[in-house]
Amino acid sequence: MSGGMSGNANSRVILLVEDNPDDEALAIRALKRHHVGNEIVVAHDGVEALDYLFGTGLYADREINIQPTVVLLDLKLPRIDGLEVLRRIRENEATRLLPVVVLTTSNEEQDLLNSYSLGCNSYIRKPVDFLQFSEAIRQLGMYWLLMNEPPPRLEQRSP
Amino acid sequence: MNQEQLARIRDLCRDDAAFEELQQMLIAHMQPMEQEIDRTHLQVEQQKTLFHVVTRLRESLDLQTLFQATAAEVRQLLAADRVGMFRFYADSGWNDGEFVSESVAPAFPSAIAQRIHDHCFGDQFAIHYQEGRVQNVADIYSAGLSDCHIQILAQFQVRANLVVPLLQGRHLWGLLCIHQCRVSRQWQEAEIEFVQQIAGHLGVALKQAELLAELRAEVVERQQAEQRAHKLNQGLQQAIVELKAVNKELEAFSYSVSHDLRAPLRSIDGFSQALLEDCLEQLDTHGQDYLRRIRSATQRMGQLIDDLLTLARVTRSEMQKASVDLSQLASRICTQLQQAYPERQVEFAIQKDLVAYGDRHLLQVVLDNLLNNAWKFTSRYPQARIEFGVMRAERTSETNLSETNPSETNPQENGIPVYFVRDDGVGFDMTFIDKLFKPFQRLHGMQEFPGNGIGLATTQRIIHRHGGRVWAEGALGQGATFYFTLEEEIRE
Repeated sequence: MSGGMSGNANSRVILLVEDNPDDEALAIRALKRHHVGNEIVVAHDGVEALDYLFGTGLYADREINIQPTVVLLDLKLPRIDGLEVLRRIRENEATRLLPVVVLTTSNEEQDLLNSYSLGCNSYIRKPVDFLQFSEAIRQLGMYWLLMNEPPPRLEQRSP
Repeated sequence: MNQEQLARIRDLCRDDAAFEELQQMLIAHMQPMEQEIDRTHLQVEQQKTLFHVVTRLRESLDLQTLFQATAAEVRQLLAADRVGMFRFYADSGWNDGEFVSESVAPAFPSAIAQRIHDHCFGDQFAIHYQEGRVQNVADIYSAGLSDCHIQILAQFQVRANLVVPLLQGRHLWGLLCIHQCRVSRQWQEAEIEFVQQIAGHLGVALKQAELLAELRAEVVERQQAEQRAHKLNQGLQQAIVELKAVNKELEAFSYSVSHDLRAPLRSIDGFSQALLEDCLEQLDTHGQDYLRRIRSATQRMGQLIDDLLTLARVTRSEMQKASVDLSQLASRICTQLQQAYPERQVEFAIQKDLVAYGDRHLLQVVLDNLLNNAWKFTSRYPQARIEFGVMRAERTSETNLSETNPSETNPQENGIPVYFVRDDGVGFDMTFIDKLFKPFQRLHGMQEFPGNGIGLATTQRIIHRHGGRVWAEGALGQGATFYFTLEEEIRE
């Protein structure tokens, strides 16, 4: 990919929910390599992710009208796992339409099934080969940040 | 004739002498009539008794009850002192037995449940009784009986003896004995006939009892078999529960392997790549080569983990059997192979419309493995041919088609479809056929042909789960053929 991500999408953050510091570093590296300019917020477990999205705990003073452009969600997380995070995102009116990409090591059928049942937007298995991973991230960025028209913001829908 | 009648007759007579004469004449006339009446009366009583016996026979199959009631009734009717049913012990050769039922006058001892041994009976008399002989003894002391026989009878104070056989079918089961104690007695024809009839009916009861016993034994046996089956079933249920638990554990294990084993590999590969990208100038060609080796090893290990998980999944996944078009699956795989390596010249010969019954996903894995192998092991040749088909031909004796154990005899595949994947690639040495289907066993060096030795192990597991067999034949430089069946062979 030659050009960087630009325009409206740049102004919104990407929420990366990842507990493994190596995977976090590699994911950020891959995003940067493909010139994704968005701010990347990292949540290290399910609780942090939910705090960020709903403006609680650590993120009590965050302006929650502005939601991430996409959530990259690992499934195996400490405290609250990824599937539960996904369930709560879809349950809540404010985050119901938020694009969520499950990014995980597993390709177990049960995980795939559960993720899609709970309404993830896509499911990407992290390959061992970094170049493949990098390519997956590139396509992901291309689609969710550049091509995809994000759902309307909350305040626009309110009367 | 009562007194009043006699008085009237006396009045009609001219004198006592005439009356006396008339009286004598009347008595002479009436006596046979009275005897006839008595006889008829007895006959009626006998018929009644017989009727009772038959009725009881219909009502109850309990021999003891039937014997008891019959003995009492017969004894009363015949005014005998003892009526008893004597039973021979099985396997005693008719020399030993005991009274199993009895009706006896209070003045005389009971003969019941005492072992009676007569060493002459079995040899000399049993055969005759078997044919219906009746022993009719008016007085045991003047009938020419043997001493031991007299002794046996005397201990029960028997004086007159009427014995008829009790036959169970054609088998001499026992004896029906009528005893007159203390005094002798001439047994009447009608009495003998009556006792024989009774014995006949009791014989029917004995036969019925035998049938009933057989039936009961059968019922008991069936119940026991049912209980055994039930127990077995419970054991199976338990085994299933345990198996499910083990399966669940395995699943959890696989799941964590899938997650946790791959994560460090990603770090190794990712940061090696990062080094290659970010610090390329600081590395000489050796350093770069080492990093590439690290990366290729991590990726191999990643593939290995994936293949192992597939192998594990093949074993534990639930099979969903349906009709599967193997030809279609094979064609699709071959098309994919050709598309992935368009430069290769390979002729595919896939027999059409081969439909098998099995798990679609698992059979796809089988064909995937076999066809990929064929593709891989023909890669050195500029032109190759890969075949998929079926045969039902009987096997010739000189080809060794053993699965894993060469000493195993190969039954004929009696009409069962034998599928095969054949290639004209490098083949293999039949000496190492044992290793072929074992996990992590390889017949070629990694440099020669890449692979981790799990594909054929996976294939074998899938075929076994379908109840079939898989085997191979080949020779170095002459290609290889893999055969498999998908159903159990009918063994002679």
